[in-house]
Amino acid sequence: MSNLLEVRNLAKKFTSSGGAFRKARTMHAVNDVSFDLPEGRVIGVVGESGCGKSTLARLILRLIEPSAGTLHFNGEDLRAKTPAQMRDLRAHMQMVFQDPYSAIDPRYTIERAVLEPFLVQGVKPIDGAAAQVEALLNMVGLNPGLADRFPHQLSGGQKQRVGIARALALRPSLLVLDEPTASLDVSVQAQIIGLLEQLRDELGLTYLFISHDLSLVRYFCDEILVMYLGRVVEVLPDTNGQACHPYTITLMNSTFVPDPKHRRVIRPLEGEVPSPFDLKPGCAFADRCPQVSEICRAETPELSKHSGHLVACHNPI
Amino acid sequence: MINIIGKKIGAISWLRRSPLAKAFNSWLGKIAGGFLVLLLLTAIFAPWITPFDYAAQNLMNGNAPPAWPHLLGTDQFGRDVFSRVIYGARTSLSVSVTAISISIVAGMTLGAAAGYFGGIFERVVMTIVDLTWSFPDILIALIFVAIIGPGLTSTIFAIAIAYLAQFTRLTRAQIVRLKQETFIEASINLGGKPRHILLRHLIPNAITPVIVIGMLAVGDGIVLEATLGFFGLGAQPPTPSWGAMMSSGTAQLFLSPWVIIFPGMAVAATVIAVNLFGDELIRALDIRDRLKEA
Amino acid sequence: MLEVKDLAVAFGSIAPLSGVTFSLAKGETLGIVGESGSGKSLTAMSIMGLLPMSDGRVTSGSIVFDGQELTTLNESDYCKLRGGRIGLITQNPMTSLDPLKKIGTQVDAVAILHLGMAKKKARANTVDILHTLRIPEPALICERYPHQMSGGMKQRIVIAMALAADPDLLIADEPTTALDVTVQAQIIRLLDDLVKQRGLALLLITHDMSVVAQTCDRVVVMYAGRAIEQGPVLDIFDNPQHPYTQALVGCIPRDLKDGEKLTSIPGTVPTVLNYPEGCKFHPRCTRAQNICTTVQPELDRNGDSAVACHFAGASI
Repeated sequence: MSNLLEVRNLAKKFTSSGGAFRKARTMHAVNDVSFDLPEGRVIGVVGESGCGKSTLARLILRLIEPSAGTLHFNGEDLRAKTPAQMRDLRAHMQMVFQDPYSAIDPRYTIERAVLEPFLVQGVKPIDGAAAQVEALLNMVGLNPGLADRFPHQLSGGQKQRVGIARALALRPSLLVLDEPTASLDVSVQAQIIGLLEQLRDELGLTYLFISHDLSLVRYFCDEILVMYLGRVVEVLPDTNGQACHPYTITLMNSTFVPDPKHRRVIRPLEGEVPSPFDLKPGCAFADRCPQVSEICRAETPELSKHSGHLVACHNPI
Repeated sequence: MINIIGKKIGAISWLRRSPLAKAFNSWLGKIAGGFLVLLLLTAIFAPWITPFDYAAQNLMNGNAPPAWPHLLGTDQFGRDVFSRVIYGARTSLSVSVTAISISIVAGMTLGAAAGYFGGIFERVVMTIVDLTWSFPDILIALIFVAIIGPGLTSTIFAIAIAYLAQFTRLTRAQIVRLKQETFIEASINLGGKPRHILLRHLIPNAITPVIVIGMLAVGDGIVLEATLGFFGLGAQPPTPSWGAMMSSGTAQLFLSPWVIIFPGMAVAATVIAVNLFGDELIRALDIRDRLKEA
Repeated sequence: MLEVKDLAVAFGSIAPLSGVTFSLAKGETLGIVGESGSGKSLTAMSIMGLLPMSDGRVTSGSIVFDGQELTTLNESDYCKLRGGRIGLITQNPMTSLDPLKKIGTQVDAVAILHLGMAKKKARANTVDILHTLRIPEPALICERYPHQMSGGMKQRIVIAMALAADPDLLIADEPTTALDVTVQAQIIRLLDDLVKQRGLALLLITHDMSVVAQTCDRVVVMYAGRAIEQGPVLDIFDNPQHPYTQALVGCIPRDLKDGEKLTSIPGTVPTVLNYPEGCKFHPRCTRAQNICTTVQPELDRNGDSAVACHFAGASI
């Protein structure tokens, strides 16, 4: 199985410009992220707001220019591509957005929205436009009769299906899913997840699944990257893997299970997520960590093997 | 034949569904809109409505008070005021609409480019545009009169430049906001070129408030045209213009007030109607918030 | 403590809420769970006498709080109740906090208004409450403004305001929806402790079944403006009777074995404007028969549980 996507030391710094009374500040949104995404796998990226998971998604698709690191897609160096070459490549790597309500131009009919990928890539739809629209809408489980509707006439779940149809129109091999169900009701969330599972099997897609919902990621993904303040702190190789990083364990204990017989014992968690501006040296979780020791505040831990998987912690459990 | 009727009905139903039709829902919108439609028809069909040639002089019947057959009286040269007011509508409307159209096209192009590309380009464009705003309209008109001489061309350019800043700023504000929308990111992610993003997404979504403001500006343009005409910088005789007519009437203000009152009323009624209708349009389209951005 | 019977609410000719019945005892946590548009927030607003829009009103049913009928209460008596004996926690803390006033002043104001405390005493009370909510350095926090705090901290302040007048009933409308999971866990633990230590009654409104599983003693499941099932939390999760509840429980990913799939409910939640005839769930229901399309099933009470379905029982 070859790697569809190889990410090495990817980083993004945002700098706020200083003024007369302010110092310029640097925010490390994504810091030194590396991973491989083999063809056909589903990798989940999980973390709380501000951990850099959405920025990571946009860096991989080069919707935001990385500050450092390399990106290889299908063996090709993405960062070496010109904007024109990048536009052509986009046909092979697509994204489904978090907010289906604003992901479709409000002035576009569903038909026009679904045909936009063909228009911008200069591809003629096979068997004509109407047949293509029908095929795509059928594929995502939408009634083709909705083709002449406007987005505001559709429910959230229906709009997200349109978003998926648009992303899949040009048959990409990689699909980045940025919290595709976060703004949907649970019953609809299950529909969309079911659809994504079915499409993966039918079309042989590779997914990068971004979410804040650990139980959803554990259900849906083969491998999980846990992010905290721009860094990957743990890579869980499979969904049953035992977590070793204190943050991952906190995250797991904070995620409730829908079973009143297995209530979580919630331990108090000290402090707050530190500001991503001007990070101190050392582990970002140190101030809140029950396992903290001297070295944690001095040295940033690197990802290293511990009990069979990668963990970035000086004192893994 | 049936086909033609079919098309006609299609056009009517399109008109009914257009945002313009929504402004007709209230009684205020009906009155103001009705007046404007009537004015437009009058201007278009002026040659068939006017009882007299607007330029025909009859010195024997100068300064005649309103009476049959000169419904609104005659001016000092014995020209029919009614005919001249109607032809004046033609001048006022065509000058104002042309000028505002030029202003909208130029303003949208500048504003969209500034908002989309940003950076130094945006700063330069916005500074220049803001400079045009800081000059009094009359001064701009005088500059044009100095360059190409008095006449309607100068008036059109003066009005166009006077309103350029407004349209540029409004468009830029819209584009800057729209650029943050997910559907723009989605379109870029599909491989959309800047041309596609601008022409197929940003401008179509930004155009409605610009058109509405443009409609309101037509009213202001009419006032500006009348002002320039009043000072002799606009339409030159014998072209009938509401401003020029009022100007020529000042000499006989007490002798024959109708010469100045009727074109004045025409200006006032038109501007009020335009503004009322524009307000109804803003309400109907629910875009008040978007107008505040500029 | 609180007894809601057959509550119905209408806005003009639209009736988004009907047939809502439940009760809540001291020291108990009752969860109202439902998807968007199910009427769960509207239920809370009705209890608080805060129906939005001028034409919104309770058309039938009763709400009895501690022996007092609320549907006929006048506005000034309601004002004494709200923030006094009934505390409210909303989803977005920013809407409950005045951005221009210091935290301390805002929490003090509740105790001054409802308990007639003197300023000094109110501040002591505030510091006390902030302390029980495990807010570090409460005296210092009192001097801060809302914008200087994180989302989780703001939500704690809102809880402090709800507690300032020592209420008997706490209504929490999606108190953790806008928060991250680790922060949510902390807030939930806090609410749990409050119920246990102070003997409060907590009405927890949420769309999240796992929050319900974690905290509630009893659950009311709402769908399309009706309470369709209720019972002890264990029964709702392990032995749901209504097909909607059964599907809802299956929608959430829990430790599924390999190859096991999430169940999903086909179709979409109806909006107030297109409620179907008969049972509101029948277009999406796998068990629907002819009778479901015409006759609205009534809540059928059986001990501590109740269900509104013509074919309740047997799993899917």
